[in-house]
Amino acid sequence: MNTYPNRKQEAVEDIFFGQVVIIWARWFVIAAGIIYALWISTNTAQLSVAILLLGAIVSINFFVHGRYLMEKPINRSLLLGLSFIDTLMVSVIVFAGPGQHGIDNYLFIFYYPLLLAFAFVFPQTLTAIYTVITLLAYLAVCVVATPQLITAGPVLETLIMRLITMAAVGGLGTYYWRIQRERWHALEETFQSAT
Amino acid sequence: MKKPKPPFGKYFRESSELAYGQSVIVAARWILVVTGLFLILWNPDPLNNLRIQVMTIIMLALMNFYLQTQILMGQKALAPVVYAASIVDFVVITLLIWLNGGFASNTYVFYFPAILAISVAFETAVTIGFVGSAASLYFLLCLGTGAVMADNFPALLSRILMMVAIAFCSNLYWHIERNRRSTAQKAHERLLAEIRRGHIHAPKTNGQEDDNEHVS
Repeated sequence: MNTYPNRKQEAVEDIFFGQVVIIWARWFVIAAGIIYALWISTNTAQLSVAILLLGAIVSINFFVHGRYLMEKPINRSLLLGLSFIDTLMVSVIVFAGPGQHGIDNYLFIFYYPLLLAFAFVFPQTLTAIYTVITLLAYLAVCVVATPQLITAGPVLETLIMRLITMAAVGGLGTYYWRIQRERWHALEETFQSAT
Repeated sequence: MKKPKPPFGKYFRESSELAYGQSVIVAARWILVVTGLFLILWNPDPLNNLRIQVMTIIMLALMNFYLQTQILMGQKALAPVVYAASIVDFVVITLLIWLNGGFASNTYVFYFPAILAISVAFETAVTIGFVGSAASLYFLLCLGTGAVMADNFPALLSRILMMVAIAFCSNLYWHIERNRRSTAQKAHERLLAEIRRGHIHAPKTNGQEDDNEHVS
């Protein structure tokens, strides 16, 4: 009987134990989205659409959280799919949500906790891919929504700063994930030599 | 007569979590230094301001170089030094925000990697102290520089909520990993005790024959 998991089992346990971090990151984004929708809506139609969309996301996250609490967490593919849907959703909000669009929309900050949570749960290669996709999505949204502003020096500087800090959050998250894996492997070696 | 223990003494003792987590803090600080230098030189302020900014970045870099060498040499992490360095990080970021217009400044995004780094290295109470102070200071700074208008308030609330989200998710992961290791270590110790008592065989390693005879 080995009390320390092998590499494959580690990946499975990461998904099992770590998905609660993704779930909570999504709850924070939902909370901020609700505050934003309630405050910024100027008519009932806008508020209704926002609440309907948020209601759908709340239902999905409630289902995922409920499964986790019942110790039947969702599988890797579904978790991965939902994470990519989160990125898509935030990109759509930044591009076409109420209020300002593109680089002037401050809701890009929703990317940060989602990037971080993903980096803590999935291996480094997947995290790198997800981080790059998120950066490209935000860059594409800013360029398409506000093309005339991007070439202006101060706005380009702001965009670069945001992209760097998003990459930093993804990179630091996966760096810490690797530190934890190395600690596991060191404990595993200690166990094997002791027995 | 026993000396009373200082109330916050446990946060200043050696900690393996702090030892492993401080690499993340040092990495985050390097990102802050390099990005900060790049940004202040991209669109330089008047000469006097630029001098102060460059001096600040250089001081940060020197402090971080010292901490990096401590890690590379395998020296034990001194909690007060790590805490002090993190306080300097938050002060520098807050100063940059204030100098660049407060609420209107986009430099607040530097809080996110800094908060991530301290949340995976420090105990929950210390993380709450750091993030609570940073968020409160940022809130007051923004209130004084334009966020008091109704249109800007949801933006300020969202920023603070995302700072809290980063701290919460990072510290939650820190707890999860600590509990997993602790559970596995306890199971390992129980197993070793059972093996020593001779109740069970030692587990096979790869390619090893099981030569042990069962002893009841």
